[in-house]
Amino acid sequence: MFTVERGALVRAAIILTLLAVVLFALPGSLGADWITTLTSVAIYSVVSLGLGILYGRVGMISLGQIALLVVGAWVATRLSYGTGLPFPLLLLVTGAIACVVGVLIGLPALRLSGLYLALITLMAAGAVSVVLRTIGFPNGGGGFTGRTSAVDLSGLAPVRRPAMAVADTAYFRYVVIVCALMFLLALLHIASKPGRAWAAIRESEPAALAAGVNITLYKLWAFALASFMAGVAGCLLAAQVGQPTAQSFQTQDSLTLLAAVLIGGIFSIWGAIVAGIFNQLVPFLFQAEWGINPNFLLIIFGVGLLQVLLTAPGGLVQQLPKDLASLGRLVVRGVRKVARGGGRST
Amino acid sequence: MDSVIGLSVFGVDWTFLKPYIVLGLALGGAYALSGVGLVVLYQTTGVLNIAFGAVGAAGALISYYLVNHTSTPQWLAFAACIAFGGAVSLLYGVVLGPAFAARDPLVKTMGTLALALILLGLMAWRAPAGGAFNRVLTLPTTNHRFELFGATVNWTQVISLAFAIFLTAGTTIFLRTTKLGTAMRALADDREITATLGVPVRRVEASAWLVSGLVCGTAGLLLADLFTTLDYAALTFLVISSLAAALIGRLRSLWVTLAGGLAVGLVQAVLAPYGSITGYRSATPFVLSIAALLYLSRHRVVSISRTAH
Repeated sequence: MFTVERGALVRAAIILTLLAVVLFALPGSLGADWITTLTSVAIYSVVSLGLGILYGRVGMISLGQIALLVVGAWVATRLSYGTGLPFPLLLLVTGAIACVVGVLIGLPALRLSGLYLALITLMAAGAVSVVLRTIGFPNGGGGFTGRTSAVDLSGLAPVRRPAMAVADTAYFRYVVIVCALMFLLALLHIASKPGRAWAAIRESEPAALAAGVNITLYKLWAFALASFMAGVAGCLLAAQVGQPTAQSFQTQDSLTLLAAVLIGGIFSIWGAIVAGIFNQLVPFLFQAEWGINPNFLLIIFGVGLLQVLLTAPGGLVQQLPKDLASLGRLVVRGVRKVARGGGRST
Repeated sequence: MDSVIGLSVFGVDWTFLKPYIVLGLALGGAYALSGVGLVVLYQTTGVLNIAFGAVGAAGALISYYLVNHTSTPQWLAFAACIAFGGAVSLLYGVVLGPAFAARDPLVKTMGTLALALILLGLMAWRAPAGGAFNRVLTLPTTNHRFELFGATVNWTQVISLAFAIFLTAGTTIFLRTTKLGTAMRALADDREITATLGVPVRRVEASAWLVSGLVCGTAGLLLADLFTTLDYAALTFLVISSLAAALIGRLRSLWVTLAGGLAVGLVQAVLAPYGSITGYRSATPFVLSIAALLYLSRHRVVSISRTAH
């Protein structure tokens, strides 16, 4: 099925080494707040990956990913209080439920594209957020909503973490492995039939239709995959936070996510990791490490988004190596010139 | 005179509902105002300005600062808000408009998203919300009230509704009768052909940006007053309600946009006294826009054109 090239082997080796470093070397040398932040980076890179697939691979934009993340967190909290499901099963069930909600939000995509699709997903996400904010996150009560009006909630246990990864560092490793599996899932999709169908749809829908691509199936498939990822990420987030509340998700999050994903780069899955870093690590660095007002980041997001839209459609992932390469060429040329000039003068 | 047994609407007394109707119409007027500004700009330049709320909010904050921390006369401070809206929009349109002109509507819209993020960042940095800060921007007209059908109405609310109707009518006449209006309608049809015919396309676009910016500043000022607290985040995301109005008008019809804005404001306000659904009333603009978008997309055509939606 796949022919293995040397380049692919080298790449796989590099990725595995990086993963090993992140899993074993990093946690030992970092403080507790760094571990928490890096866990969030991993979680948000999965959400970004979902949006990256939708926009970069299929050409459909969805502003509903953050809402699906919140849905995932809500479902995971409810299931954790209401059932005794083991954590891996909790992840899968949450992902599946988010998948159903996501496909429902994505249904209009069969008729709309471009600006209108962006607007309708934004509106659907807004409506879902209003509903979740009004219901509130489960706090140990019964019924569908899992809410209780009891004043004393001190006995409320946090959302369950996997039995083998209760401590923060262990949970970080667990999250990284789950996220790596999500990236693998995305890669498998891109490298096989769905990936080719998506590329055909992105380039020209009529051409894809003429070539016999089942547009309805593959569009909904993409929405299902992205929503599944957002749901899994929501479950991971709920277990990380312990007792999630609706207040921890802001209205502007789906807009900053879009900016971060575009700045990171939508055409490469590495862009998703850059987007996760931008979304979670950079604000942490600004606030805790450098003492800069984190709101500056919004301004940087805005300027970065303009730059990506106008001059660098591939985002940082493509632009940075390009810029570094041209810088390298410039330096080499300069050195050569100096060397040649030096040779002449002696 | 109200009878002793008041008229009941779904279990809520009619007299109790009146103030909400007044508030709903006033807010609806402001949404409709913004909606008309959005539609005119979208038709002329193809840009759906997501930053509409952010620009208005920033203008209102400037007014607030001028009123409370300087000795600027009030009317000048309020004029500054409107002027700020016009200036920022014009600047964006002149500097970045041409760069985005040939791109598809989604990319143009994301460009204004960048403007919104920049303004949000600036506002969050210079005027952080929460804590002891509870800014209030009150227009002088708010202090003058009168009774109408047993409900108290203030002049800001009247101005909001009246200005929305006036702007809709004025813009309709302007687009039909003046040279600039004709040029704008031509641009809405086809930018390239309009340019070929010798219309100064960029100047027409710049005037659309300026006018919609002035409308945006006015709407920001009115909404900051009508919403009682000046919260920049809430004001920024009020653009959703205006977008709903514009979408109900299919981004094309000014009068339907006016009706849509009033509907959004009215439904949202009137649901407030109904205990069981009051928490969900902020979903009104979302639900109405979804309905409008679904209606828009009821005929699906596969098109080979690159710019087709």
